[in-house]
Amino acid sequence: MGKEECKTMLDALNKVTACYRHLVIALGSTSDSQNLREELKRTRKKAQELAVANRTKLTSLLKDKTISKEDRAEYERLWVLFSSSMDLLEVDMKRSLEIGQEFPLKVPTRHLIQTGMTGSTTTVAARAMSVQNMKYEADSNVDTADLRDLRSEITQVSQMMEEMEMKVQVAPWAVEAKQEAGAELKSNMSVGNSSVGVISICEEEPKEEDGAGGRDTGFATICAVAGFVIIVFVAVVLGYLVINMS
Amino acid sequence: MTIRNTLRDHGQRYRPRIACLKKAEKVLLEMQDPKTGVKSQPQRLVITTIPHAITGEDILSWLADRFQIDTQEARNFGSMLVALGYIYPLQDHKRLVIKPDASLYRFQTPYFWPTQQWPVEDTDYAIYLAKRNIRKKGILELHEQEQYNRLHKWMNHKWDFIVMQAKEQYRAAKERKKPDRVVFDCQERAYWVVHRPPPGTVSAMDYGLDRRIDPNADEEKTPDFYGRIMIFTQQSIMRPRVKSSVSIGALVKYCATYNGHDPFLSKCLPSNPWITDDITYWNLNMPNVEIPTKMRVERWTFSFGELLSDPRGRDDFRLFLKKEFSGENLAFWEGCEDLKWGTAATMREKAEQIYKSFLARGAPRWINIDGKTMEITVNGLKHPHRYVLDAAQTHIYMLMKKDSFGRYLKSPVFKDTLKKAVCPEEHKYSDAQLEQNAKNRRPSLSPIVLRQQEKEHRAKMAANAPVDITQLCRYTTPVPHLAVYSGISDFPSANASPSLPFLAHSPACPSPISVALDSTSASERRAEAGEGGAAGIPEARAPAAGSVSRSCMPLSLRRLLKRGCTPSTMFASLSPKYHSAAGTSSRIQPISPDQPSQAPPRRIGNFFQIKVDIPPECRIYPIESEDEDEEENRAASRGGVGAKEIICPWESLTPQNGTG
Repeated sequence: MGKEECKTMLDALNKVTACYRHLVIALGSTSDSQNLREELKRTRKKAQELAVANRTKLTSLLKDKTISKEDRAEYERLWVLFSSSMDLLEVDMKRSLEIGQEFPLKVPTRHLIQTGMTGSTTTVAARAMSVQNMKYEADSNVDTADLRDLRSEITQVSQMMEEMEMKVQVAPWAVEAKQEAGAELKSNMSVGNSSVGVISICEEEPKEEDGAGGRDTGFATICAVAGFVIIVFVAVVLGYLVINMS
Repeated sequence: MTIRNTLRDHGQRYRPRIACLKKAEKVLLEMQDPKTGVKSQPQRLVITTIPHAITGEDILSWLADRFQIDTQEARNFGSMLVALGYIYPLQDHKRLVIKPDASLYRFQTPYFWPTQQWPVEDTDYAIYLAKRNIRKKGILELHEQEQYNRLHKWMNHKWDFIVMQAKEQYRAAKERKKPDRVVFDCQERAYWVVHRPPPGTVSAMDYGLDRRIDPNADEEKTPDFYGRIMIFTQQSIMRPRVKSSVSIGALVKYCATYNGHDPFLSKCLPSNPWITDDITYWNLNMPNVEIPTKMRVERWTFSFGELLSDPRGRDDFRLFLKKEFSGENLAFWEGCEDLKWGTAATMREKAEQIYKSFLARGAPRWINIDGKTMEITVNGLKHPHRYVLDAAQTHIYMLMKKDSFGRYLKSPVFKDTLKKAVCPEEHKYSDAQLEQNAKNRRPSLSPIVLRQQEKEHRAKMAANAPVDITQLCRYTTPVPHLAVYSGISDFPSANASPSLPFLAHSPACPSPISVALDSTSASERRAEAGEGGAAGIPEARAPAAGSVSRSCMPLSLRRLLKRGCTPSTMFASLSPKYHSAAGTSSRIQPISPDQPSQAPPRRIGNFFQIKVDIPPECRIYPIESEDEDEEENRAASRGGVGAKEIICPWESLTPQNGTG
């Protein structure tokens, strides 16, 4: 069904946009590197492919006059999602061009801003590309050719968005959101082991993070304690049996 | 200090731009140098260590060193960098100042640097709030909560996107290592403290409305662009030029004169409210304060324009002119200002009022302008517009400036004001007191209340304004209780009763309403006149016996006046009210014998400025021109119709034009 496909593609585009933003934020800082630029490039390409695919799908769906009213409302909602994603993507691309030009990498003395971020962004990019590991190409001309490509991509995206506006008549303000306020709290957030461990964000918020981390560690310790008790019990029972047997 | 060529800079006269951003960025880059930059140290948190933290004192010493400035200046500079968002504090993140101790700061990533080019979007803020909601599990700060609700309401159509993006960004952030995540959260939070400041603080990036074009962007060279350059240069060629010796001399003189009065360059007594949070200065310099400050009075002596533009100065000048009996000049000038700055709907009316009060032949407050200007003005009044009285206004302004102003400065009124003027002592506040003052700041009166007060004040002034009559006018009558004249106490109370029935029956004679012939009150008078005779009578009656007598001027009195008056004597003439109501002339008869007896004493008595009661519909003729018989005839012919007092030249075709 067209709607499901659309939704999955939009989810993918959304994910890529979010990852791209994270990558752009790291530009110019001490976690900037050749790899980062390459990650940016590849994420961008992926984003563009997704964008084109989404666009064709949605335009074809919306141009179809025979769909019902609810369907049309739904498609309009998806369209608003798509165009907002594209807005974010476009701005991020323009900014990455600007910052990339300001902080060239292949210069003898490079002054990257010491922001405190030193780790790599490989995992973020991997998430964007939906791959397990990122493989990098050895040398790419980050400062010149890359930026040229970026410029052309930006123009492509802008053109695409203009075409979109022309072809499809959707009033974005008329769309009603399905999620209500606070919807982001509903889904499962902190699964996985990344929330275990007590780390405070900044020195003045140690208590809250403590509490949050503490709650999880509390659970873990309870499990550990319970496990321990069970093992001890089993050991005692076995010992008793052994003693009784012998 | 470089002197830029502003010839080609077409945007210079518009809003100021934040040019300091590019300069701050350069400074930031210099600070990063591992050898010559600011020394960084690792920040130790509970488990992790995050590098690149810098202390406040290191930053300040580096700035002082680099720019060769003292510590206070370095502090200001550092605070500016923090307030703009280039450096953010790690502890006490809401107060964007630099503390000269070991408190830690960190540099902001270039994506989050302040810039005018990329406007701060509400969408981004909404995504940030949603992410924060997730992290804090629903517990946001109060102002964040409010903003969240507001954005949810106004950006509802994008809300799905915002929620989805927030979740995705949250998950993507989790992919990074813990220290980096911490840093990222701090960065983002610092960014939004700058651009969406918590209540009670101001954002340093608040630069007002956005311009239509970005001043730092290159303008494309369209024909329109070149067209604008051409117009600009053509206009510069045509500009009149002044010799530099003259203009520099004027500048030097201006600076020397105003140097002591500039609160930036010299002390502001008692203290500058913007610095010490003490509003005595403003209270002492209110527009209608009783006793002005010495500085203010001194300012009035600089030029006539200064005197007029200060409301207290204008009041003083008005008082002086009243004593000199030339208040009509200032009143006319004020009327013209009113016309120039007033609403377009009232313009026509105002122009007519001004003409009737000041310019027409036989006007009660006739001003003295030369024939040519008068001609121009009267011609212009046929099609009145905002600046129709400009020529006359300028003439009167120059007259006042050359003549009255000089005398004012030597007059006892001014000397008295100068003597009474107060010179406040300078405040000396300690730091603790300054903080106390800052806590006690209160908002001032709302502008609506102020405007109301101003209106009331103006109405009160208009009602109390005296009329100085320079030209004899038979049809004006003094009001005894308000008269400043000496000695006349016998007022024709006998008039009161006969006039009442008289009044009651003549719709054409509205009751005497105590009005001033001020131009501003003219319209009020008109409005009051409209209320009709009967209503006005009791109130006019109330103040003392004898409201204005409304009997007609007997022939004998007129003759008396004609003989007795000379152009130089000023007296208010008495009583001619309406002459007319010819239909009721029979009723008037019994009163008239009274008149001659009263007339002489009253005439002598009314030498001084008095309040005059004039029924708006009464006809006013200059004394010299009319003949008694003509008057009678005219009166008879007009009958009981509300005759206009002065016939405006452009309305001569329609003499029975309502109230005129």
